[in-house]
Amino acid sequence: MALIEARTPLALEAGETDVKPFGVFARPTGAQTGWKSWLTTVDHKRIGIMYGIGSMFFFFVGGGEALLIRAQLARPDQKLLSADLYNQVFTMHGVTMVFLVVMPFAAAFANYLLPLQIGARDVAFPRLNAFSFWCWLFGALFFNSSWFLGGGADGGWFNYAPNNGVLFSRSHGIDFYAIGLLITGIASLVSAVNLIVTVLNLRAPGMTWFKLPVFTWMTLVTQFLLLFALPVITVALFLLMFDRLFDSNFFDVANGGDPMLWQHLFWIFGHPEVYIMILPAFGVVSEIIPVFSRKPLFGYPFMVVSGIAIGFMGWGVWAHHMFASGMGPMSVMAFSMATMFIAVPTGVKILNWLATLYGGRLTFSTPMLFCIGLVTMFTIGGLSGVTHAFAPVDTQQTDTYYIVAHFHYVLFGGALLAFFGGFYFWWPKIFGYFLNERWGKVHFWLTLIGFNLTFGPMHILGLQGMSRRYFTYSANQGFGFWNMVASIGAFTIGVGLVLFCLNIWRSYRAFKKDPYEVPADPWDARSLEWMIPSPAPEYNFAEIPEIHELDDFWHRKYGHDENGRLVRIADTEDIVQKPGATGIHLPSPSYWPIVLSAGLPFIGYGLIFDYWWAVPGALLTIAGFVGWILEPSTDPEDHHGDHGHGADNHVDGPGAPEAATPQGALEGAPDDVAEASGDAASEETSGD
Amino acid sequence: MIDRLGKHPRLLRWVALGTLAAMTLVMAGCGALRDDEGRPLTTLNPRGPQAQDIDDISTPVFWVAGAVFVLVEGGVLFLMWRYRRRKGDQDGVEEPVQVHGIPRLEWAWTIAPAILLGLMAILNVRGIWKLEERDADALNIEVYGQQWWWEYRYDVDDDGAPDIITANQMVIPAGRQINLIIRSNDVIHSFWIPALNGKKDAVPGRTHEWSLEADEPGTYQGTCTEFCGLSHAYMRMEVKAVTAAEYEQWLEDQQQPFTPPEDATPDETDDDSLELAGYKEFLSQCAQCHQLNGIDYDKNETDGTPDPDYGGEIDEETGFARMPLTSGNAPNLTHLMSREKFAGNLFDLYTEDGNEGERQVNESNLANWLKDPKAMKPMAPDENRGMPNLNLTSDQIAALVAFLQTLK
Repeated sequence: MALIEARTPLALEAGETDVKPFGVFARPTGAQTGWKSWLTTVDHKRIGIMYGIGSMFFFFVGGGEALLIRAQLARPDQKLLSADLYNQVFTMHGVTMVFLVVMPFAAAFANYLLPLQIGARDVAFPRLNAFSFWCWLFGALFFNSSWFLGGGADGGWFNYAPNNGVLFSRSHGIDFYAIGLLITGIASLVSAVNLIVTVLNLRAPGMTWFKLPVFTWMTLVTQFLLLFALPVITVALFLLMFDRLFDSNFFDVANGGDPMLWQHLFWIFGHPEVYIMILPAFGVVSEIIPVFSRKPLFGYPFMVVSGIAIGFMGWGVWAHHMFASGMGPMSVMAFSMATMFIAVPTGVKILNWLATLYGGRLTFSTPMLFCIGLVTMFTIGGLSGVTHAFAPVDTQQTDTYYIVAHFHYVLFGGALLAFFGGFYFWWPKIFGYFLNERWGKVHFWLTLIGFNLTFGPMHILGLQGMSRRYFTYSANQGFGFWNMVASIGAFTIGVGLVLFCLNIWRSYRAFKKDPYEVPADPWDARSLEWMIPSPAPEYNFAEIPEIHELDDFWHRKYGHDENGRLVRIADTEDIVQKPGATGIHLPSPSYWPIVLSAGLPFIGYGLIFDYWWAVPGALLTIAGFVGWILEPSTDPEDHHGDHGHGADNHVDGPGAPEAATPQGALEGAPDDVAEASGDAASEETSGD
Repeated sequence: MIDRLGKHPRLLRWVALGTLAAMTLVMAGCGALRDDEGRPLTTLNPRGPQAQDIDDISTPVFWVAGAVFVLVEGGVLFLMWRYRRRKGDQDGVEEPVQVHGIPRLEWAWTIAPAILLGLMAILNVRGIWKLEERDADALNIEVYGQQWWWEYRYDVDDDGAPDIITANQMVIPAGRQINLIIRSNDVIHSFWIPALNGKKDAVPGRTHEWSLEADEPGTYQGTCTEFCGLSHAYMRMEVKAVTAAEYEQWLEDQQQPFTPPEDATPDETDDDSLELAGYKEFLSQCAQCHQLNGIDYDKNETDGTPDPDYGGEIDEETGFARMPLTSGNAPNLTHLMSREKFAGNLFDLYTEDGNEGERQVNESNLANWLKDPKAMKPMAPDENRGMPNLNLTSDQIAALVAFLQTLK
């Protein structure tokens, strides 16, 4: 770092490139084709796509685990899975779905869309962004490799002490859990800082806080939650790792430890985690519903503030997971009340979405259907949540299938439905072709029906007294019928997912066979990403737009008459940016993010199996650090300065005088240099 | 086919209606949970004052939630129908009014739910504290959770030492409040009898108090509800509520010390009765972990009261506890046959299909269990958690089964 910080980062003379300390440290060239370019890319859009593909892969893994669970529970006393294997499967299902599916799906959307929505060329620290992705991927693969190395974690995703100790779980599964989540935690933490800095500093000129798209807002709140929540789980995982690998006694009662410590640490992270998963989905819905209602989002300030309120209140409710744990009535009362009132900002969101629909002209495209699906299904999850905010009632409901039903209505009926809607909605922008609408609708209905068949009956099962995490149940307990229904539903969801994948393949094939032009703005949408060609060009904006209003792009197309009705004031064609801009400086690709992160799993294997494994891991990581520091700021083919590039033209440059001018904007890519300087703040672009 | 399916919105509308109908059925299913026939663990059929207190909160909460559910979901369906884009709608002609928000309305639907919740919070707070109240004559019972069964200790004479140690089936007098003193010997478990009260965790190193009370005599099922490892699903228990008189009788019976079976033919050596042979097997194979009041594994005889540290005492010479189990505890078998089930309240000790409803000992369950416990209930005996397979011969098993039946 010092090497670069020693001089003003942007003070390079025109025509001068960085001195290469060693030949091997030259950056990969900026050619953006071939599979190799994906390994070294720092383009936020490609990273977003890779997050999406990775999450989809783990969605199949976690979904397969879910189907195993449902197959086992379809009938009483089934022996398909042993108790031991079942415990591993439900643990891995939970951890996979939370950390390797829902969170990275949100990261996929955040990475892809956030810079586009704020009119930026990339995130603030592009190499760190690539590092986040690879770190997440390697952590995820490391965690799942436990299946082949002695068995997965078997303590539940919540992994309560002391059941997570070596005494009660001798396989290495929980070691993989602890170290795997530490690695993915690094990814999320780095990404959180990156996106926060991006939103703070790289907004297009004129985009003040209350002109920020709601998805960006919700993502920003989410990143702050991650920033504060991840250190807590990191502490907990470290303590667990030390207990398991180095014989410490943080959770061992016999030696003065306390198992309740784990519960508190886990849920101080775990409850904000719920909002980390759902707030980006709220953002997606708040983007899509207005587009297909042809109305602005009702009560934008309320939507933003309620999102922030949820983010704040989310820190004061963690112990509602522990009403039966014996905290004492005073704590129970405090957390119970806090939990009841967090329903208020959530309810505001639901009602504002309804008000957005009111008086609109609704088009039930697939994205819209999925988003209305969220509104209806999340409402059910929210209401069941209120029922167990009442602590006495919760003592009957907690740890039963009623809770399983509740959080699946929140996370599947909430987050995943919204993300599917987001896929259909942004697909043409990302990939340049449409997903088939008819197949999409069949996918939607299969998913909705399958989802309700699966998780609806779980309310009944829970109230009927079926506890969670049971590998089987007896015929005389009366759980048979609804479990069978739930299993049928789960496989229906599976069929829907297969249809979705077939749809991707079929639509792509149809497009290749008979190519068509995808307009920049196919849905007549509102936010900035629709102002650039589809698929989004590498440089995002040929010209960084100047923002005057919330939904600026929409207001460039439409005004309204004296009755408030829409009147078109300009053709979309004339407003959207044209493809084919050249000479735009972009951050250069880098080898080092993937090298640096590839070392971490080896260190993990070293801790678990044999310290020798840590040696290649440490070498890779150190090589990654050194290479990262020493590599030049641009690749050899980047003709830095040939087009009159100078320090003053960077929008993120400290001295940029007219950041909004087209020329300045052309040059306005956030650069790795900015990343190293840590001084990317631009007074001009940060709005207010 | 999928293309055609996706093209028929009307068909899909029927599917949507079908979904609604199914959800109505689900609601009806919830209503049926009031009846515990065939649903031994239902949470919606309270049989004691504590469970009733909880039900008195959950009923209004469910009604309010149901009303909000109908309003919101009905609202969405209505809005979808009323404001759908119609055929012939033209962009730029039938455009909606661009409403950006009505702050007064939004304040209203922020404040109104807050007030509603504030009112309902009264129920909540009252309920939380009410469940902490204890009657002056509440009966203390100590509850110990361990992998994967429950132990109960009764201190009948209030001298601080338990006089009765039993497992799985808790016997209580109906109509009297019980104060449970809940602890754990290994990992976290949770004690839950849905018909009588909510659940409370058993956390190692901590003591939690919780209450329950049965209005009427009867048997109330329960299960462990905090994930506790392999046989979490098989860690069951029940509360048997009896009349006060029956309870007194039960206390007396349970305090009888164990009496060894007598040799039927004392003169003829090497020809023990089956029961006596089983007793000898028990002493050599089982007594290391399982206690019979009055008989100690290495001291042979004690004063006939249960020893709460049985097997867990540290041997002064070797420095090790005798019992190999992680939890340091195994079910006290002194009055095994007074219970209905064994092994975490999982397997029947009796069969009902004897002559004229007379119940008979389910010898095959006992024999199978002794033959290979792990095959019947997942355990980890090689990690000292659960009962090991002792590789008993069929003769040994037959003798043990005969002996166990003498433990009335």
